[in-house]
Amino acid sequence: MNVWQLVKVHRATALVLALLSLSASLLLAALPRGYERAYDDAVHGMLGDVSAQVTDLGVTGRPIVSDALLTHPADFQSRYEEIAKGLPPRVREVVVPLGQGTSHFGAKTTGTPVNDRIGGSRRNNQYVDFAWLPGAATRVKWVKGEAPGASSTLARVPGRPELKDLTVMEIGLVAEAVEEMGIDVGATLLLGNSYPVVAKVTGLYEIADAADPYWEHNGEVTRVVERPIPGSTENEWLTAGLISDDGLAKLDERREVSYWWVYGVDRTRVEAAAAPALITGIGDYQRFLGDLSGGGVGNPLELRFELWTGLGRVLGDFLVVLRTAETLLYLLLGGLAVVSLGVLALAVQLLTERMRTGLSLVRARGASLAQVVRAGVAVVALAVLPAALAGYGLSYLVPGPSTPLAHVVPVVLTLTTLLFAAGRLALAHRRPLKDTRSDLVSARPSPRRIALEFLVVLLGVGGAYLLRTRGVASDAQELGADPFLVLAPAGLALAAGILTLRLYPLPLKLVTRLAGRRPGAVPFLGLTLAARSRGGAALPVLILLPALAVSVFGALVSGAIGHTQSRAAWRDVGAPARIERAAEIPEDVVARVEALPGVTSVVRAGKGNVQVGISGLRATVLSIDLKDYRDLVAGTPLTVPDPPRGLGVPALVSTTLVPYKEIELGWHNRMTIRNMGRIDELPGLSFPGENLIVMPFDGPKRGGLRTYTNMLLVDGDVDRATLERTVGLADAEIETYATALADIRNTPLTGAITVAFTVATLAMGAYALIAVIVALVIGAADRAKALSFLRTLGLSQHQARTLTVLEVAPLIVLTAVAGLALGLVLPLVIGPGLDLSSFAGLTVTDFPLTFTTPALLAAALTAVSLLGAFAHATAGRRVTTALRVGESS
Amino acid sequence: MTTLSDLEAQASRRAPAFGEHAHILCDNLVRIYKTEGVEVVALQGLDLLIEKGELIAIVGASGSGKSTLLNVLSGLDVPTAGLARVAGMDLLSMTAKDRLRYRRSVVGFIWQQTARNLLPYLTARENVLLPMKLAGQKTAAGRADDLLELLGVADCAPRRPGQMSGGEQQRVAIAVALANSPEVILADEPTGELDSDTSEEVFGALRRANRELGVTAVIVTHDPLVSEQVDRTVGIRDGRTSSETLRRTSEDGDVIAEEYAVLDRVGRLQLPRDFMNALEMERRVRLELERDHIGVWPAGAGEENGE
Repeated sequence: MNVWQLVKVHRATALVLALLSLSASLLLAALPRGYERAYDDAVHGMLGDVSAQVTDLGVTGRPIVSDALLTHPADFQSRYEEIAKGLPPRVREVVVPLGQGTSHFGAKTTGTPVNDRIGGSRRNNQYVDFAWLPGAATRVKWVKGEAPGASSTLARVPGRPELKDLTVMEIGLVAEAVEEMGIDVGATLLLGNSYPVVAKVTGLYEIADAADPYWEHNGEVTRVVERPIPGSTENEWLTAGLISDDGLAKLDERREVSYWWVYGVDRTRVEAAAAPALITGIGDYQRFLGDLSGGGVGNPLELRFELWTGLGRVLGDFLVVLRTAETLLYLLLGGLAVVSLGVLALAVQLLTERMRTGLSLVRARGASLAQVVRAGVAVVALAVLPAALAGYGLSYLVPGPSTPLAHVVPVVLTLTTLLFAAGRLALAHRRPLKDTRSDLVSARPSPRRIALEFLVVLLGVGGAYLLRTRGVASDAQELGADPFLVLAPAGLALAAGILTLRLYPLPLKLVTRLAGRRPGAVPFLGLTLAARSRGGAALPVLILLPALAVSVFGALVSGAIGHTQSRAAWRDVGAPARIERAAEIPEDVVARVEALPGVTSVVRAGKGNVQVGISGLRATVLSIDLKDYRDLVAGTPLTVPDPPRGLGVPALVSTTLVPYKEIELGWHNRMTIRNMGRIDELPGLSFPGENLIVMPFDGPKRGGLRTYTNMLLVDGDVDRATLERTVGLADAEIETYATALADIRNTPLTGAITVAFTVATLAMGAYALIAVIVALVIGAADRAKALSFLRTLGLSQHQARTLTVLEVAPLIVLTAVAGLALGLVLPLVIGPGLDLSSFAGLTVTDFPLTFTTPALLAAALTAVSLLGAFAHATAGRRVTTALRVGESS
Repeated sequence: MTTLSDLEAQASRRAPAFGEHAHILCDNLVRIYKTEGVEVVALQGLDLLIEKGELIAIVGASGSGKSTLLNVLSGLDVPTAGLARVAGMDLLSMTAKDRLRYRRSVVGFIWQQTARNLLPYLTARENVLLPMKLAGQKTAAGRADDLLELLGVADCAPRRPGQMSGGEQQRVAIAVALANSPEVILADEPTGELDSDTSEEVFGALRRANRELGVTAVIVTHDPLVSEQVDRTVGIRDGRTSSETLRRTSEDGDVIAEEYAVLDRVGRLQLPRDFMNALEMERRVRLELERDHIGVWPAGAGEENGE
């Protein structure tokens, strides 16, 4: 048989099949690419949020014996290469070569105190370390003096007769050392308490590019750190000075010296898919360094190496997020695959139905089953294969790395389509001339089939139950979505599909009985036809149901994420806008804010961090009128307790402070507050976990001082930029709900999920429409025959249209209801296994059953499907055509 | 004196079987369709014998089982019980492979609907070549043209069915049925959709195939034009052969048709309904064996009373 001829004859149907194959293959190959790209963006974003020190691989080497001292730059170079040899290939791929990016080496001392100043006044609690950083030379600007040079020897130190022949190392310091530590060019410092060394400051520098990630590794040379000494009221100052190559030679074992080799990681080269391999690689490298420290070849117990990196941890955190995203997206992809496969199967059915007459004749004329199946499958293959290939090719236009899934899915899809075609053809033409007595209703399902369906339903429901009770595997490192999590919904969808198919005639019979009592013939006829529709109904149900279920589930997940994101944003800010400052906010600023257009109300508050008298506990103390604040946040997820009432300074306190009836605290003034009740938190206004004391706004006044405002809570429609301009205080921290929400929302994964759900919902809607139309076209000949007969009995065109719509409507509506129900049940089943917190900024505790979106979705899908039916019913059916169709079949 | 062994030999020496030498043999053929608990008995013990090279017509009312019989004979349907043999092949015990070979080389089939006989997108010649290709034979375009020539549609060879008249289509369909030189061709109302002139042409083509190629032809028809021109017409009623009409040409050239009732092997006979109605025969009749015939009388009133 000439296959080309068959394709040509059935070109319209073949084209439909080809288009469907193309779209399915394109969608299913392109979506994983898009996802992978979003994953990569997410991992880059996550790595970009932390400092280079965390993401890079830093190796420290501490000399164990004096022989191990590295005194020459070339030693570092050779060690750099030697240690790099142990980098696992996957890790090596993301490491940038020495000299580029943040890859560098150097030597530093730690904790070197300034013992004294030669020829200057001594200052306490100062530390100046030596840092030999060959890479720094090009990254600093000398603003005073010059770069340090060769070291020398100082025979005697005036006033310190015990010190003789000290090494004098020239160092350069960051310019702010003048102001912060009082060290200027020319200062000579005696460093170290035992075995002191002299440091002569030859120059002051500024950092050329403060944003250069190189400095994230070497922060100590870029600034002076002032910090309180633990257990003391005094502060200490720390910095490090740059020394020359010659200075390096003088860094001996008496200094706390350590050597650094930093293997800079190019964050853009880290791919999400490679994250598990990288984590393992880092572990391997750690062991390699351990072995090297243990006296491996080339390192006879000289240096103790240690790996410093947070890359593994960051990637581990990322994998936790990724796993949830992958589960969701696989779920979506699975739903889409099932639906597109169903539509493809329908189109194949249409094509084989169209070829049926020809192939039956050929079979009757002596073609073997194999010949018929071969010819039919060849036709399907000619339609499907090039289209699938084209779709796969087009998917390369979607930016993103290719994943195994993107290659496998189109292949599986195409093979399944061909297999389905072969199966259908084999069944249809197993016996020649099978079309005897097609007017009778099909036989009852065999017991075997009923048992099988029962088993599927049992497995589906059992799987869902197990998933709910068991939860999911918790080790994110094992990577990937939990397959069970993805399979259980598929099983559940299949079970729901079977139940719908088996049960839908029951309610229909009831309605039919009602319709039979009414005068119009059309509803009764239409419903009767609907109740009689057989086999052909299975595929549309199996398409519509998962399509709707996944869409509804998607809407619920999006809703839950959106809801929680909003809650998280409210909890971050505590009001539509919050202005906070350490010092008091001047009255005129308050007045300006109040006068801003859009601002409806402003609540003043005072906030401080105080020591609670009795116990040495610290607490955040807030003075705010809780009633006003409650009015301000009415309608948001935030809840505000009743204001404390009573004499003196009434206050609400957090749990730890509840036992005390009266608490003395020093806030602006010594005051005693009276414990009037418990408050757990005021999100946004205080940090969670902190002790909290909330008093009325006039609390400080009642305590004997005056009211005090350093926080404004603003209600109304006003953006952050406007507030910043209006407030005009550089040290004021301004947060708005809108910006907080945007911050939470604008992560690549959240975006990917939202986009994926939108694309999938649209695609599934389109597929559902196509499914209904194709299913109608398949039965068109039979329907036309029935309708033309009814037309001869006096059925009007309008009634015929209604009849067609009524015939398909019950199944669509009932399937939509089942799909909606399944979609609403899915979160209950999968919810416990899904950690959406990374998308929402908070733990997603519940899926709020917002019926609006799902119901709208279901209604829209039903409407679209019915519209398809209506369009089909309206499109040019003439009695004469119908009669001719009836005769020739 | 007959011995026991003589008796055994006599028993094992079976009499020549019913229609042993017939080209087409149906013996007590039963076909029941079963769907959703409803049984439709299409053939209820049909007997039929057709000799090689015969051209016969099968007539009967709608639903009498004609088409079922033809489907059984063409190997497209399998009988429920009985015996059906065509050209020595037992239609009940054939494997799927035998059945395919049977359809390819033993029978050819022509349906009533002209559109159903031919693939609409192939030319007449391609349609004739199709069965040869399906059977894996070397396609002989010459043979296809010869067949079309024989059936008088040589000029249709390059045309598609849509470009031919109904009669031409049916004649091409006969050529298709004859493509693999079958021993039997079966035609289900081949002239059912045609006007009388065209019917004449198509029937002529069938008769030519029968005469010139020696093919046994079985035609199911309602068309008196056809049924009155064949040697033998078999009538089917309620799934059984009920009557046979034999035609012979008298010495003066007139066609003499004699209608017979069919007597089956166990002696059952179907009386024509008109006869029964005319004499108000119901339920019981009285038979009387005469010297050269059997008389049939309606059960009289006296008899009813037990006289």
